[in-house]
Amino acid sequence: MDSSVHLDNTVMQFGDFTAIQKTDLTIQSGEFFSFLGPSGCGKTTILNMISGFIDPTQGDVKIGGKSMRGVPANKRPTSMIFQNLALFPLMTVAENIEFGLEVRGVSKSERKKASDRLLELVALEGSGTKKVSELSGGQKQRIAIARALAVEPQVLLLDEPLSALDLKLRQHMRTELKAIQRKTGITFIYITHDQGEALTMSDRVAVMSAGRIQQVADPITLYRDPQTSFVASFVGENNGVKGGVIESNSDLVVLDCGPLGKLAGRSQGSVNVGADATLFIRPEHFRLQAESGMYSLQATIDEVNFEGAYLTLNANTATHQALSIQLGTHQFSESLKKGAPVSLSYHEQDAIVIAGEGHV
Amino acid sequence: MFSQLKSRFGSGLAVGIIGMIAVWLIGLVILPQLLMVDYSFRPNLLPADIGGPKDAYSLTNYETLFSNKIHLAIFFKTIWSSVLVTSLTLMVSYPIAFYLAKVATPQKAALCLLLLIIPFWINEILRTFSWYIILAYKGPLNALLLGLGVVDRPVRFLSGDGGVLIGMVYAYILFMIFPIYNAIESLDTNQIKAARNLGAGWIRTHWRVVIPHAKPGIATGCIMTFMLAAGSYAVPALLGSPGSRWFTQIIYNWFFEGGDWNQGAAYAFLLLIICIGFIALVMRVFKVGLGDIAK
Repeated sequence: MDSSVHLDNTVMQFGDFTAIQKTDLTIQSGEFFSFLGPSGCGKTTILNMISGFIDPTQGDVKIGGKSMRGVPANKRPTSMIFQNLALFPLMTVAENIEFGLEVRGVSKSERKKASDRLLELVALEGSGTKKVSELSGGQKQRIAIARALAVEPQVLLLDEPLSALDLKLRQHMRTELKAIQRKTGITFIYITHDQGEALTMSDRVAVMSAGRIQQVADPITLYRDPQTSFVASFVGENNGVKGGVIESNSDLVVLDCGPLGKLAGRSQGSVNVGADATLFIRPEHFRLQAESGMYSLQATIDEVNFEGAYLTLNANTATHQALSIQLGTHQFSESLKKGAPVSLSYHEQDAIVIAGEGHV
Repeated sequence: MFSQLKSRFGSGLAVGIIGMIAVWLIGLVILPQLLMVDYSFRPNLLPADIGGPKDAYSLTNYETLFSNKIHLAIFFKTIWSSVLVTSLTLMVSYPIAFYLAKVATPQKAALCLLLLIIPFWINEILRTFSWYIILAYKGPLNALLLGLGVVDRPVRFLSGDGGVLIGMVYAYILFMIFPIYNAIESLDTNQIKAARNLGAGWIRTHWRVVIPHAKPGIATGCIMTFMLAAGSYAVPALLGSPGSRWFTQIIYNWFFEGGDWNQGAAYAFLLLIICIGFIALVMRVFKVGLGDIAK
């Protein structure tokens, strides 16, 4: 069955405020797709448009190739897991799961079969007669998943459903969600501000900022090749150094960074000589020993933090540029201490250059 | 309670507060009620006979109602009409309460609440009189209905129970809207969205999600409306016809026209007992406890 979701030149305005800028995006059938962005970037609005709680001002939402304009929320082939789960507290667990089927006029015995099967899927067999209030956070989470799956949706929408759980449970539920997605083959659309969730679970991620999709890519591409400085600094940690472009070859750009010297990196998009640009280096790409062909930055250590498998250093350059560095613990030496000078090197292939003043 | 008040206000003020509450409760609520209970069991006597041999406790005053067919009919009609008023008020109020709590923007909700409250700044008698004018045989409502061609001759709203029902629904609408509004407002909007999302239409969403949540509010509103309707005097006196007398009017007559306070007190207690019994029954049927209502 085609359960793709197509945002067809969609625009959403609330009065004068444009919540979603013109967006054209297709989410493939059976894909685990995430919208990642800070709060207020419009990701929940996208979810509300797909589920039918609001209709876009312009454009259309198509599910399985069919236009959803004017189709009310209760007639769409989607189902949603809410941030606060929104389980019905006055119903039992089984009644919650069976609600969608009850609405569709499914017989009582069929409903019972379905809720038993779903309770088994989420590993909560025999909890059907319990009250919602008797469940733990993680169990409620699973019941919400079971309730949403009971109506056999083509598209499952998840609105930051893990944000209320503690860290351990959250990591466990990530694996489980991914497993359920593989088992059911439903298109999952996941909304989150937590990049860890987005990167570990998704086939593709759309990074959003201020109502605009910045980049759509698989997690590794997103991390290695961010297209905009927002993505570069929002996804993972990054050090941005500003400079003027003095050389630009096919894919290598050299920047003049004033007192910091000349620094080079791979170009992302078009970077013109004479323009301002920002060089991004990830904390884990710095080395203490320079090899030939590497570029170096001189800095003074501000803080050393031991984090188990690795060390993080905070350092400042002569231009008061703060840098964050991550090193393997084996590289620790007594000379790494507050106030000590340090030379930080990197391979040009590990740095990227994005045109503009940057967003750091 | 005393120790809480004492720690907050000091012992002098605490004694003062409790003393005032006690005077109010005992002197103005409990004692008059007890006096009426006492009255209701004693015969109506000339001042000279009070305290004499004729002044003995009996159930005679209570028996009167059951031997008077007309009074008994009015008694049950009052209960039944109050049920009708309560259900009509609920039907009118629920959509308004839901709109105010979940649909309207905060500004619109505030405006609507203000518009609902403003008429209640006017005295109940005057408000009821305004309905008398609206519903009159040659009044504006009939003029409108005639003008629209809905009826071809004016309707006599004020003969029979129609006028009384309309007047009461209007008089008590706030007592119904506010508890339901409060109850619905506390419902997480995502619950409604979740029901819609799972395929429920509007009727089922209300029936399975909103109404069960709002049940204590609905019960509170219904109880207040029912009690006010059953105990109403002004509305039936002004908008009712001789054929639509309310039991409260008979109680009034015993007190102030018959001069028989003892008989009136007995009638008043019978109404009170039936009302309380009826409410207890309704609460049982709808599985609402006193604790739910106090919320």
